[in-house]
Amino acid sequence: MAPQTRKAAIVGGNRIPFARSNGAYARASNQDMLTATLDGLVARFGLQGQQVGEVVAGAVLKHARDFNLTRESVLGSRLSAATPAYDVQQACGTGLEAAVLVANKIALGQVESGIAGGVDTTSDAPMALNEDIRRVLLAVNNAKTLQQRLKALSGIRPGQLIPEVPRNAEPRTGLAMGDHAAITAAEWEIGREEQDELTVRSHQALAAAYDRGFFDDLVTPFLGLTRDQNLRPDTSLEKLARLKPVFGQGEGATMTAGNSTPLTDGASAVLLASDEWAAEHDLPVLAHLVDAQTAAVDYVHGGEGLLMAPAYAVPVLLARNGLTLQDFDFYEVHEAFASTVLATLKVWESPEYCKEKLGLDAPLGSIDRAKLNVHGSSLAAGHPFAATGGRIVATLAKTLHEAGPGKRGLISICAAGGQGVVAILES
Amino acid sequence: MTRTVLDAPPAMPALFARAALTARGRGGELPDTRLARLGVEVDPAHLADYARVCRFPLADSLPVTYPHLLAFPLQVALMTDRAFPLALPGLVHVRNQIEQLAPIGTGAALDVEVWAERFAGHVRGATVDLCATVSAGGAEVWRSRSTYLARGATAPDGAPDADVRVSVGELERVNARWQVPADTGRRYAAVSGDVNPIHLSGVTAKAFGFKRAIAHGMWVKSRTLAALAGRLPEALSVDVAFRKPLLLPATVTLSTEQAEAGWDVAVRDAKAGTEHLLGRIRPS
Repeated sequence: MAPQTRKAAIVGGNRIPFARSNGAYARASNQDMLTATLDGLVARFGLQGQQVGEVVAGAVLKHARDFNLTRESVLGSRLSAATPAYDVQQACGTGLEAAVLVANKIALGQVESGIAGGVDTTSDAPMALNEDIRRVLLAVNNAKTLQQRLKALSGIRPGQLIPEVPRNAEPRTGLAMGDHAAITAAEWEIGREEQDELTVRSHQALAAAYDRGFFDDLVTPFLGLTRDQNLRPDTSLEKLARLKPVFGQGEGATMTAGNSTPLTDGASAVLLASDEWAAEHDLPVLAHLVDAQTAAVDYVHGGEGLLMAPAYAVPVLLARNGLTLQDFDFYEVHEAFASTVLATLKVWESPEYCKEKLGLDAPLGSIDRAKLNVHGSSLAAGHPFAATGGRIVATLAKTLHEAGPGKRGLISICAAGGQGVVAILES
Repeated sequence: MTRTVLDAPPAMPALFARAALTARGRGGELPDTRLARLGVEVDPAHLADYARVCRFPLADSLPVTYPHLLAFPLQVALMTDRAFPLALPGLVHVRNQIEQLAPIGTGAALDVEVWAERFAGHVRGATVDLCATVSAGGAEVWRSRSTYLARGATAPDGAPDADVRVSVGELERVNARWQVPADTGRRYAAVSGDVNPIHLSGVTAKAFGFKRAIAHGMWVKSRTLAALAGRLPEALSVDVAFRKPLLLPATVTLSTEQAEAGWDVAVRDAKAGTEHLLGRIRPS
């Protein structure tokens, strides 16, 4: 029996302010932050001791001990201990993918409610044993006799004491994400000034949203932070222009620490439900998650940019929903780098790219920039990888709700590994 | 032609030592000798070590460069024999061609045979090709040709011209950047048996005129093929030229470009752009 599907409602969200790496959350673990974020959501929606259908969350940088991170966070939270949970990981797409997974189960009637989230810390990052000593210790562990153990231990060398630190680099290319983005920026001739302009707008929009209380029911203070630590309301084109490029090479280098997202710590969570469940619990419906799409590109040998997958996912999503790129009231394009946002918008305007790469008869065209990231995005807020999706879903859902019924928003998030997750929300 | 079948792989450190002691007073024509081993079985632990050093996925078929490890000790034995006209120390691997006719299962019993041919003149000396063929169940599955340059050596009268060029496309795009650690030569030596001192340490490399230890060309080739895991035809030819030596440690770039249903590849120094390896991979 094929069940009738229904659109999952977004009831609300909660996140902790995002902190700069080794800043306010330097000593907080992923589990600490996710638990605090879940508890904030529980408090906001009166879910103490209640069981929700499922909690789905993840982290990109994850300790081996955190194999069951989300379930452990649920057990430490005020949710009912009978709430099931599982972890997902799709790099920077984790948070949005988690929301899609929860929404799909709601759509199929398998759960009535669920929480989607994500968390990341670059401060309390996992460090791995040096690969050589790890193998020696595995051999020691597997040894049956003292003699075998001693023989295995004799393989230890002083150089093996140097641990392996996680690098923000693609395993197959050895290039940092910023290096990849710089290649795309150069290819699409994304200028320094337009990147800095987008950055200033992001800071100003986020600051304005905080000032008018937009985040009052989306953010819960944590460890002394009440706003995102990276937010600089007073930043300006002049200040940004003084920064030296950190990615790219030579005169063509345009990407700075200002127009790239910094390493960030933080967590977010979104409450999704069926309309019936929301009504029974006397909770609002901000928006519905209408549809979602993922895509991936061959950035290793195929010549496509690492962060360009959303450019491929969006036209598929539009076609399935009978929409054009212009049929949206708001766009949330994750600001991994200012140049990534601008390159994505630019390829959608290119007839050649849309025809040759995306297989479209006509370009998707341009968007009204006034509808883009209206409450700021990752350049200002920071980007704790897996937490970004939840931040964006909750922010857009509330934005749509404020604008009134029948409004539509598009989310586009690029992710490591050449992947992208995109989704449509409607109020 | 004489063909000698060995029961066990020759001991490489001893061969290299003998090669150093008997380097002088060599000359003449290439010997008409073949060395072989029959029914060679791959040690799974060794294969795992090799796969790790070169970054190949560990699978149920051999990495395309693995049979070279079976042939190489025999080739060294051939070259250290007093009948061989060129001195092994100082020989530089300048080109390597491999053709794999079919995937080789890790459990196959392999017959390996090696010989030398094509003594050729080169502007900087002479080259010689060390060839190998590998069979499974009587059918050839793999063959290779390693071209070595002996600087300052003289090829016999009437010898052909050396053929060490491999032409590739522009390869302007950088696909990957590798940090190659200082111990890369020692690690590859440990799995390949190629304990040539130029790869082992700065001190031993200096003795042979290199500023620092240099990476094995075959490691660079293997690492490049490993980077194309999942994108290679099952039957293929891989023809690479080893250009400037890769001094360790180093940061190098890999460029790949699809060409004729295969790939053109280049490994270059990340800063100076010096070419270390140029290669053509084609279906066969």
